[in-house]
Amino acid sequence: MVENILEAFSLFLTVQNVVIVFVGVLIGAIIGAIPGMTTPMGVALVLPFTFTMPPVTGILLLLGVYKGGLYGGSITAILIKAPGTPAASCTVLDGYPLTQKGDARKALDMALYASCFADFVSNLSLILLAGLLAGLALKFGPPEFFTLILFSLTIIAGVSGDNLMKGIVSASLGLMFAVIGLDIVYGTNRFIFDNWNLLSGLSFIPVLIGLFALPEIIHFYTQRGSAQLKTSPMTGIGATFGEFKKCFKSIARGSAIGVVLGAIPGIGGAPAAFLSYSEARRTSKNPDNFGKGELEGVAAAEAGNNGVAGATMIPLLALGVPGDVITAVILGAFMIHGLRPGPLLFVENLPLIYALFIGIILSSAYLFVVGKFSIRAISRISNVPNRILYPIVLVCCLFGSYAINNSLFDVLVMVLMGCVGYLMMIFKFPAPPFLIAFILGPLLEDNFRQSMILSEGSLAILFRSPICWIFWALAILSIFFLIKSRKKNIPLAG
Amino acid sequence: MDSKLKLRIEGVVVVGLGLLTLFVLIPIGIDSPGDVDVLALAPEFWPLIVASLFTISGIIMTIKPFEEKPDDDEEEAEEPAPWPERLPRLAIILGVLFAFYFVAPYLGFVIPGIVLIAGLAWFASERRVGMMVLISIIPPVLLYVFFVIIANIPIPLGIFEFIHG
Repeated sequence: MVENILEAFSLFLTVQNVVIVFVGVLIGAIIGAIPGMTTPMGVALVLPFTFTMPPVTGILLLLGVYKGGLYGGSITAILIKAPGTPAASCTVLDGYPLTQKGDARKALDMALYASCFADFVSNLSLILLAGLLAGLALKFGPPEFFTLILFSLTIIAGVSGDNLMKGIVSASLGLMFAVIGLDIVYGTNRFIFDNWNLLSGLSFIPVLIGLFALPEIIHFYTQRGSAQLKTSPMTGIGATFGEFKKCFKSIARGSAIGVVLGAIPGIGGAPAAFLSYSEARRTSKNPDNFGKGELEGVAAAEAGNNGVAGATMIPLLALGVPGDVITAVILGAFMIHGLRPGPLLFVENLPLIYALFIGIILSSAYLFVVGKFSIRAISRISNVPNRILYPIVLVCCLFGSYAINNSLFDVLVMVLMGCVGYLMMIFKFPAPPFLIAFILGPLLEDNFRQSMILSEGSLAILFRSPICWIFWALAILSIFFLIKSRKKNIPLAG
Repeated sequence: MDSKLKLRIEGVVVVGLGLLTLFVLIPIGIDSPGDVDVLALAPEFWPLIVASLFTISGIIMTIKPFEEKPDDDEEEAEEPAPWPERLPRLAIILGVLFAFYFVAPYLGFVIPGIVLIAGLAWFASERRVGMMVLISIIPPVLLYVFFVIIANIPIPLGIFEFIHG
């Protein structure tokens, strides 16, 4: 054991490795902060550079980009309401209202603290609990996934604002937009109407940008006020230790949620962020503030989102199963270097695994450094008057939407979703339920149908295991308490 | 307009859209194979559930509209411009967005991007020529350089494609 650890240190402790983790985190943070550049794109872009590097160096570079990208997505989500990654879309809900209140610095700080803490917890879990969590992850089949996502969807009731029905209408619309594309079971067309651009469905990023960033911009130009200049004053005050302490419960809970969901292949950061946010809102003393600029909301979303970072490596390293696109690319990097992740790797290349763990722990510290510097530089954006900022943001959104798939059709999707988002804004239909349903909807449907295939149509499969029962019970309890709290606050009109 | 009546009208519109989806869009928009053994696996099963949920929500909105509390932030916010004033501005901004989409295949992203930034900054009362030149040229060019040279994503240049060499 000690020999292995010493060998791991000798493998890791080179200037090249120490620098490359930093470079990876920096590249990831920049890529994540650009709407249109996703973390998987960043990891894929960097991959060719790792071919000539030693295995530890190459894999650490990719991991650095991954971790930086997860955090970077929150920067634009908070500042300009354009999430850089789908996982950061939950951060928009409270991050942007905080920016509007002049508390951008505070939101960015809290996002960073929550991200670093969750990332560190996730890394520790990877090191200490890989075997245990990999075993739990293997118990998740389609019915367990279905009930888990169903439970996550109960958050819709919490982010629907005053009118629950409008929230449900908005969520239904999101679910409907999510079914566009090729049917996964029969391969037939759904709402394609002979437009082949729709075969693979609507891309996340153009829909997210269209729904969140564009309505704000359209609204700005339709107001008389736009002529009279509106500036978001950038306050210099960041989040204090007291505020971090206040949010700590949600950060710790979000980290744990991220770790557990991250260890399950195929889940990803977005459901973890939404579930963490939902739990933070449910247990908060000020649930009504969520969605209106609650710092705890930013902390919970970012903790959930970043909590998956280390944990997604658990099924990859322990079982050889990539949990998402990014870990699939990292698996490719392992294989390029002649390594095959899985139980045998722990027997044959233990020092290499330990060297990776050391680098991963270091990446949490680098994330903090990169974040602190970038916040100082980037948060100045909030000081730019909207008459100058908005046209630039608009052009960033147009470039970014195109870059996702090199498709002008995605630009059209973004513009049309901007129109939908603007109409929803005018008629006070909340956008967050649409977003949550659009992101979680395909997961819900796919796992439901896979369950039906397994059981040949019997709904009993959705109650087959204790995990299913736990999530059913949590979903029912969550809905019960949300409705009870709404009845207390909102009078019914006849 | 009375807020309850407004909500009821919105509910009727939602019901209308729901029925349109259930009886027109789903039948013509979803290709269903004839031999589906399990109903829940049919391609239209999930959309039917979602459209039903949408319609039922609309019916509830119409029959029993929930009172909407005025938002605290809304009370503090500026009074929105009246619709007769807002509509021409809305038409202009939407026109600009669609124009960008339609001209991009011919002129690429950079030139329309420059024009869009300059035009919208002017529209929002920015009158400093130096600032307008700076903000309209630098971001599109930087974005182009980043995507094309660093990220290797071919952003279209339209008729200016010869610049690539």
